[in-house]
Amino acid sequence: MSHHLSRRHLLQLATASAAGLGLTACGGSGSGGSGGAGGADGDSGRITVWSWTTAAEALRGVVPSFERDNPGITVDVQDLGNPAIWDKITVGLASGGKGLADVLHIGVDYLPGYMEKFPQGLADLSKLGADRHKDAFVEGLWPTVIGKDKAVHALPWEVNPLGLFYRHDYFEKADVDPASLSSWDDLIAAGPKIRAATGAQLLGLDKPGTVQDMDFFQNLMQLQGAFYFDAEGRVTLASDEAVQALTVIKRLNDAGLLADTAGQGTWKRLVGQGKLATAPYPAWAIEYLSDKFPAQSGKWRVMQPPAAVPGGGRSAIVNSTFLTVSATSKRRKAAWRFVEYALTKPAEINRMFASGGVFPALKEAYTDPKFSAPDPFYGGQKVLRSFVDSLTAGAGATNFTGDYSRALKLASDAQSQVLIKGADPAEALKAAAKQLAQQTGRQQAA
Amino acid sequence: MKLRGTLLTVLLAGAFGLCVGPFYWLAMAATQDNKDVFSWPPKLLPGGHLMENLQGLQESIGLTRVLLNTLLVAGLQTVGAVVVSVLAGYAFAKFDFRGRNLFFVLLLSTLVIPDTVMLIPIFQMMMDLGLIDSYESVILPGLVTPFGIFLMRQALRSMPDELLDAARVDGAGELRVLWRIVIPVNRPIIAALALFVFLGGWNQFVWPLIALRSPEMYTLPVATATLQGLATTNYAQVLLAGAIAAIPVMALFLVLQRQFISGLLAGATKE
Amino acid sequence: MSLAPSERAPATGAAHATATGIPAGRGTPRRTGRARQGRRRLLTRESVPYLLIMPAVLGFAIFKAYPIAASFWISLTTGNGDERQFTGLANYRRLLDDPLFWTALKNTALILVVQVPLMLGLALLVALGLNSTKVWLRPLWRLGVFVSSLTGLVAAGVMFSVILNRDAGLLNWVLSLFGVDRVNWLGSPVWARVGVVLVITWHYTGYNAVMYLAGLQGVPKELYEAAMVDGAGPVRRFFSITLPQLRPILLLTVVLSTIGTLQLFDEPYVLTGGGPDNATLTVTMYLYNNGFKYFDFGYASALAYALALIVSLLGILQVRLMGERR
Repeated sequence: MSHHLSRRHLLQLATASAAGLGLTACGGSGSGGSGGAGGADGDSGRITVWSWTTAAEALRGVVPSFERDNPGITVDVQDLGNPAIWDKITVGLASGGKGLADVLHIGVDYLPGYMEKFPQGLADLSKLGADRHKDAFVEGLWPTVIGKDKAVHALPWEVNPLGLFYRHDYFEKADVDPASLSSWDDLIAAGPKIRAATGAQLLGLDKPGTVQDMDFFQNLMQLQGAFYFDAEGRVTLASDEAVQALTVIKRLNDAGLLADTAGQGTWKRLVGQGKLATAPYPAWAIEYLSDKFPAQSGKWRVMQPPAAVPGGGRSAIVNSTFLTVSATSKRRKAAWRFVEYALTKPAEINRMFASGGVFPALKEAYTDPKFSAPDPFYGGQKVLRSFVDSLTAGAGATNFTGDYSRALKLASDAQSQVLIKGADPAEALKAAAKQLAQQTGRQQAA
Repeated sequence: MKLRGTLLTVLLAGAFGLCVGPFYWLAMAATQDNKDVFSWPPKLLPGGHLMENLQGLQESIGLTRVLLNTLLVAGLQTVGAVVVSVLAGYAFAKFDFRGRNLFFVLLLSTLVIPDTVMLIPIFQMMMDLGLIDSYESVILPGLVTPFGIFLMRQALRSMPDELLDAARVDGAGELRVLWRIVIPVNRPIIAALALFVFLGGWNQFVWPLIALRSPEMYTLPVATATLQGLATTNYAQVLLAGAIAAIPVMALFLVLQRQFISGLLAGATKE
Repeated sequence: MSLAPSERAPATGAAHATATGIPAGRGTPRRTGRARQGRRRLLTRESVPYLLIMPAVLGFAIFKAYPIAASFWISLTTGNGDERQFTGLANYRRLLDDPLFWTALKNTALILVVQVPLMLGLALLVALGLNSTKVWLRPLWRLGVFVSSLTGLVAAGVMFSVILNRDAGLLNWVLSLFGVDRVNWLGSPVWARVGVVLVITWHYTGYNAVMYLAGLQGVPKELYEAAMVDGAGPVRRFFSITLPQLRPILLLTVVLSTIGTLQLFDEPYVLTGGGPDNATLTVTMYLYNNGFKYFDFGYASALAYALALIVSLLGILQVRLMGERR
């Protein structure tokens, strides 16, 4: 507590001096948000929302109808950019919730960490009635929004089921039937044929880990129903499933099927040049590919991702994002109303999907005819349908835990060791799992 | 002698190429369509999308407003920091006073502690002072720059004492000595300091990102960061913002560089 | 740490001052100055330095002292968010057993040893060239050399990802013109370090050159003229006049570059993410990860103060080695 006292003294001194220097304090531009600690359940006024780029744009599309239906509440959606938004939310949470916006858009890579390390940071939405939406969202997401206090602290917005995008024209040229590819073993066998016929490598991966994107490794684990942690939060980074996942990557690399996409823009350039035959990517890539590579219209198709082991599962949720309310918001009720309005009304959520490509987690949204429409970029294939189908097939829940970032870093290092230094997958993961357990104080699963 | 000039010129031209080359790519990429930024072979001639990208920037981040914000913040910070640094640097270089070493070490100590760990305390403090989301919150912490004080102290130390004493003998007060002798004699280094402080203020990113809340208060680096999404970054706009960011500092350099090349000390005596 | 002016300070100055009857150095009696001017003017010889440093000290007290004290306090605690428990030196002990801290420190030291001398050497050469009246088109070169220090973090990240790309990078393309094989700049532990060194050098050489240039402008031309009369060649003039005259600025750049490199964050952050396999992980990056990714602010702060200690020790060493006599 001496800490607190000394701070107050210093601040008194500081304020006095600042006043003496003739500086006026004109902070708090009145843009809603939370002032000091301790929030309130205000039901009207101006609320601020923090999000990023296309998602922010999509949320702005909801505002007019929301404000019409909720007189007395105005909404200001701010686009902070990603990754900038994380630094900003982290500083706010670490300062006891000071200065945060009322509504925060948070990804699954950060949400469990925030909930675990700042248990007072995000508002208890159960108190505001969030539990009634428990079954409205696709399976596998709800465990993530529950905190240690068993209360709901977020509502799912975006879900990204995994698919395998592939160059239909290349497959034809190489005489590879996509229907025959049910596991990565099959793809590793077909890869050299495709490369010989088209010069394209099978897929791209950031081998040295410049951006620490471990989605592919994670997906290969998720396809087997595994992850860095099990449901109880024990470390499973050295499990058979994890070793199998990294072994698939090693075999792809040894067979010369992995293009190195280290550095910003490299993957995009390789796709643009037609040097990659497939992309194991989540649903957001549907719009991304058609938007960035219009010249390749008609050449791409999507299939269910191949299993990581022959006969294994073929659906996975790559990641998801959520809307939350900060606990220090003075207008928690108004903020919650906006979250509920934006995320549980099929019309609104599909409007956002149309404008920002944010694939909805709300099950009711999928009845929209849009989800069964053929897409000309994909040669008339009903691409969205295949992703919806894989979601309803039911991907297991993934326990990201509050230590996801540490796991991600160690896994990325292990993958680099295998791909660049020729390390053995099992050895590399064993060492990584040991470090992870040490750093986090978690048990290793047997 | 002519040979040496030629040789030096060629060497400098080489350094010039190395320094400007990447920047040239940046400037050219900023005039391309977003789709073509990473294309191969790289586009090394101006593309036709400059106006379109500019308009995009105006719409997405409010370029004019953001530039004015940045100018205001960096400008005031420069004026303030230069004044503070010259005064303190002069004291540390040319006066003997009780506590001199202690104060100097204290001021310099801020230099060795990474800014990252001070983010949260300083944010809490600014919050308590009610300064968050104001220009002051960005300008004030930058007014005391250990770098500037250190630079001025080092530069002023090599100024001959005879110069100052001569003026004092003539009955000039301390402020007059400072204004009439110290500052004119050290114009090159003060100009350099102004340039560095302005550059630092212009490019500062993390603290303004944390301190500013309203988009209409954003500075250019903060606004540029809002263009970044995971897969949705508009690289052409990001690079154009980077190219535009360089222009004001370059202009200031051109204005100030006259100071670097004027040998004002030519007539002064050295010990 | 003590980058302090030497205790024996301005021997010549003091002697001179006494000779001219103006109180200047330590050793000169304070009484005279105060007795003569004290009652009449605020700006006495004694109060002047305090008035001069007042803005700086005030600014320090308001905006630096608290964050420094608070973050040091945090380094002695563990816990989540606002609930922190005092755990003494536990974070510092943990650091000693943390292999990644040592890796980061080793990487940082390696980059420091190669990069700082390389950059400052180049900067001095460039500054000498830019200062030479024999060179044509000086203003153009001056501007060009400075341009590289203008690029902000985000743009520089994109730019160098493109330039250092193995298969489609501008640098490898240029090297191929000289028959050099493709270098895997970001993908091999050794080359990634070289790449980071290249980018920092690119970024800050011009900056330091401008500082030297300003310093060179302050060297009195009479010194050179006198030396030339004595028949000293260009090399001797450089070592006997330019270098000693530049010493204060040289010391400054050495200390500042050392601090800057030991706190290196931006370049690895945008280029390599610290990889591959931690080959370019720096202490400040590791600190950032611990604070802003793992939310372990106690440990992050301990890393910061451990680094500060190392930086300070190096700073003192540099000041001692380069001497601060006049």
